[in-house]
Amino acid sequence: MELLQYTIRKLLAGIPLILGVTFVSFLLMVYFGPDQTYQLIGKNPTPEQIAEVRAQLGYDKPFVVRYADYLRELGTLDFGFSDSTGEKVSVLLGRTIPVSLALITPGFILGNLVALMLALIAAHHRSGWVDKMIMGLSVVGMSISFLIVVIAFQIVFSSSYGLGLFPVRGWNVHSPGDYFAYVAVPTMATVFVALGYNTRFYRSVIVEELTRDHVRTARAFGVPPARLLYRNVLKNCMIPIITRIVFSIPLIVISGALIIETYFGIPGVGKVTFEAITSGDQPVLKAVVGLTALLFVLAQLVTDILYRAVDPRVSLK
Amino acid sequence: MVPGYHRRPMPAAALWPRRPPAARACAVAALAWLLLASGCGRDTSSSGPPAEVPTAASMKIYRHGLDQGPSSLDPAQSANIYANHVAINAYDTLFSYQYLARPYQLKPNLAAGWPEISADLLEYTIHIKQGVHFVDDPAFPDGIGRELTAEDFVYSIKRHFDPATRAQGAWLWQGRIAGLEEWKAAGADHAKEAEGLVALDRYTIRIRLTQPYPQLLDTLTQGYSAIVPREAVAYYGREFAVHPVGSGPFRVVSYDTARIVMDRNPKYRQEPVDIWEEGYDPATQGEFGLERIQGRSPPFIDRLEIHFINESSARWNSFAKGDEVQYVTVPNEQLDRVLATRDPVTFRQEISDRYFGYAGLEAGFVFMAFNLSYPEFGYNPDPERERRNKALRCAIIKAFDWPARNESFYGGIGAVFPGIIVPVVPEFDPDMSRESVTRDVGGARRLLGDNGWNAENLPVLTYGTTATVLNRLMYEQFRAWLKEIGYPPEKVVLKPYATFGDISRAWKESELPWVSKGWGLDYPDAENTLQLFYGPNGSPGSNDANYKNPEYDALFRQAKVMLPSPERTAIYQRLNQMVIDDCVAVTGVTRTRVHLWHKNVIALPDREIVGGFFLKYVDVADVPNGGER
Repeated sequence: MELLQYTIRKLLAGIPLILGVTFVSFLLMVYFGPDQTYQLIGKNPTPEQIAEVRAQLGYDKPFVVRYADYLRELGTLDFGFSDSTGEKVSVLLGRTIPVSLALITPGFILGNLVALMLALIAAHHRSGWVDKMIMGLSVVGMSISFLIVVIAFQIVFSSSYGLGLFPVRGWNVHSPGDYFAYVAVPTMATVFVALGYNTRFYRSVIVEELTRDHVRTARAFGVPPARLLYRNVLKNCMIPIITRIVFSIPLIVISGALIIETYFGIPGVGKVTFEAITSGDQPVLKAVVGLTALLFVLAQLVTDILYRAVDPRVSLK
Repeated sequence: MVPGYHRRPMPAAALWPRRPPAARACAVAALAWLLLASGCGRDTSSSGPPAEVPTAASMKIYRHGLDQGPSSLDPAQSANIYANHVAINAYDTLFSYQYLARPYQLKPNLAAGWPEISADLLEYTIHIKQGVHFVDDPAFPDGIGRELTAEDFVYSIKRHFDPATRAQGAWLWQGRIAGLEEWKAAGADHAKEAEGLVALDRYTIRIRLTQPYPQLLDTLTQGYSAIVPREAVAYYGREFAVHPVGSGPFRVVSYDTARIVMDRNPKYRQEPVDIWEEGYDPATQGEFGLERIQGRSPPFIDRLEIHFINESSARWNSFAKGDEVQYVTVPNEQLDRVLATRDPVTFRQEISDRYFGYAGLEAGFVFMAFNLSYPEFGYNPDPERERRNKALRCAIIKAFDWPARNESFYGGIGAVFPGIIVPVVPEFDPDMSRESVTRDVGGARRLLGDNGWNAENLPVLTYGTTATVLNRLMYEQFRAWLKEIGYPPEKVVLKPYATFGDISRAWKESELPWVSKGWGLDYPDAENTLQLFYGPNGSPGSNDANYKNPEYDALFRQAKVMLPSPERTAIYQRLNQMVIDDCVAVTGVTRTRVHLWHKNVIALPDREIVGGFFLKYVDVADVPNGGER
């Protein structure tokens, strides 16, 4: 009951956030976003034809009316049809979000698990050569542009100039083997970059925990290092770790991984979002922005509930 | 090679063996995950499998690589070559271009023959082939595609004038085919006739023009004129743009941002190819194995995949991999790897050993124009200032270094030419003076000095462009050239635009004094580039320069109703000279495209004019059955 009340309270509290995000985003879309008119008219248009297209796009309506339409669409989750492709936005997102999820999830999980492991090892050997090596590699991962990593990994693992082990691009998944083949290099690239950021973050959280009195006491009692790290350190670090992980999820679901999808020819939501931004496809953008805001509210809720799960001292009141 | 990379049928037992409950739960989760991963392609074939579907192993598949994808599959929105690649292969057009003839030559396609044309050139009677059917689709009663009729063509053209369609092709026929604007003004009711566009019977179309239109048949090759069934438009509504229902050589199976998959249309009419009638030239095309398709009926492949690969490195890697895309337009950064010499273009031995290839000029050009509606550079109420403005424009043109631009940005293999008649059209004059594309810094300085221009009084030139690194480099190069003639760099100001749509708006609303753009020909006739400077086409039309020369306009009007002839060519060339003499544009370069394709592909790839009309004739050699169908 307490949980249900808390959930309802949090969801209601999220409404102003959603309104704020959607209002600011819509303002930017309308006044600073690309104008689709000239991409949708033919050559040698007359002023009447331009006006016709603008009316079809709804550009001739007052801002307030357009924003009210947006809120109605958000409420009904019916965003109409893409201005560019004509496809129903819900179908478009329903088709592309699962692909992005399937693409990103392995890298997301591995990137966090491996980083957590490395961070524990580095923290345990703080200031030693193992720590310095792991942190050095993290800096390398953070310093190299993701774009360069993607191109380099594609050449090394996929192209005929490298090992040629995996497809260069595409997403023709019909079996576990296909899935593995298409997701392997994107996952490696994602993990390579994610490890840098995640390991550094997790290490600093763990190192801080290692200085606590209860850890010193546990050590004095002769708790073995592995158990100490797992039971006394990791569990107590879960709050910042959960925060980081859960708040990354909405971005993965909605934004996808634009660079990966573009270079590896994967029809996910990242590319759809990017094309909607650059072309000014407002129905798609409105859906993406609205759903992202909604997911952040949900992420906040889930995070709070997980806080309680890992630390019973946290009150849901 | 990773096991399972190539699609193979998997026995059900292998997917679902006996396992304890926990393992089974994991297996269920894995299967669900796989379904999630694979359920991505937008399956547009909703009428069940065709009668004869080859297995994946024996399928002849051709994978084509393109640098962009279409945003819509509705022929009414096929505004670029990418959309046309799909439109003219999923749908039928009345006319087409011969597969192999260069320069491009028209031929009847769905039309049963050449049209009967009245003596005054105003009435075209076109008979269409009988027994042509649309593909099976739920849009039709019982899901069976019905016969295509003349009424379908009439409906398809009228859609461009129906505001509900959001069509982009009306400009081809507005003011040309009688009664279409009136039909639109009367409410665009498809039950009502438009005077100039009627189906006389089931297989006969009559088009009545307001004035002779020599390019009419060219317009009927384009995706815009592709014939759609009314039932499908009604059935799918807005989503017709992602559910093509045509009668072309292929039917769309799935489509997303990364690729489109099209299977052979089993109902496509049997019409054996005569390569000689298609313009086959053994001297230049003999090495490509095109004789192999002689006497056979296209399409020759079971599946056509067009992959949309924006990034040139990914495009090249996929092509070079060997088992992915089989065709690529070579990106500039790979030219060193591919070419042995650039003038003439020859391939390195290792490239010739692995691939077929040729280099051809694009049907279009890149140019820059002054927006003459700006009194600082163009027309001015003060005749003296207007005269000085012209001198200023001429000086800037003299400062422009076309060979350097070609070397820096077009791989050094583009064709620099004077004026606006591009090299691929028959009206091009190769002997024209090249003065307007020859750099003359001294002459430019003299012109400025003689006409009272100096660093203080030169106007600010706002250089609008989309915000890309390449465009920024082009701007810096241009600014450096102007500096050499005494134009202060701080007076050449960059104005970046986030997207092409944004800069298009700026051009159409005449917000920039300098227009830098490329133009792809809609049809192989110089009229298509000459209209870029026709006065009535001023902003928001295609005359972004807002050039208004009564003599030019009168001559253009005279020429545009003339059939191809030496007289018309002479007028075209006079128009071309006027644009040069009035220093309206810095023009131009036609890029050379280097095409490469795998040696098992029997084709002569081409992406110009309509784009993708060769795909119907592509064959692939190395399949188990020997490639014969």
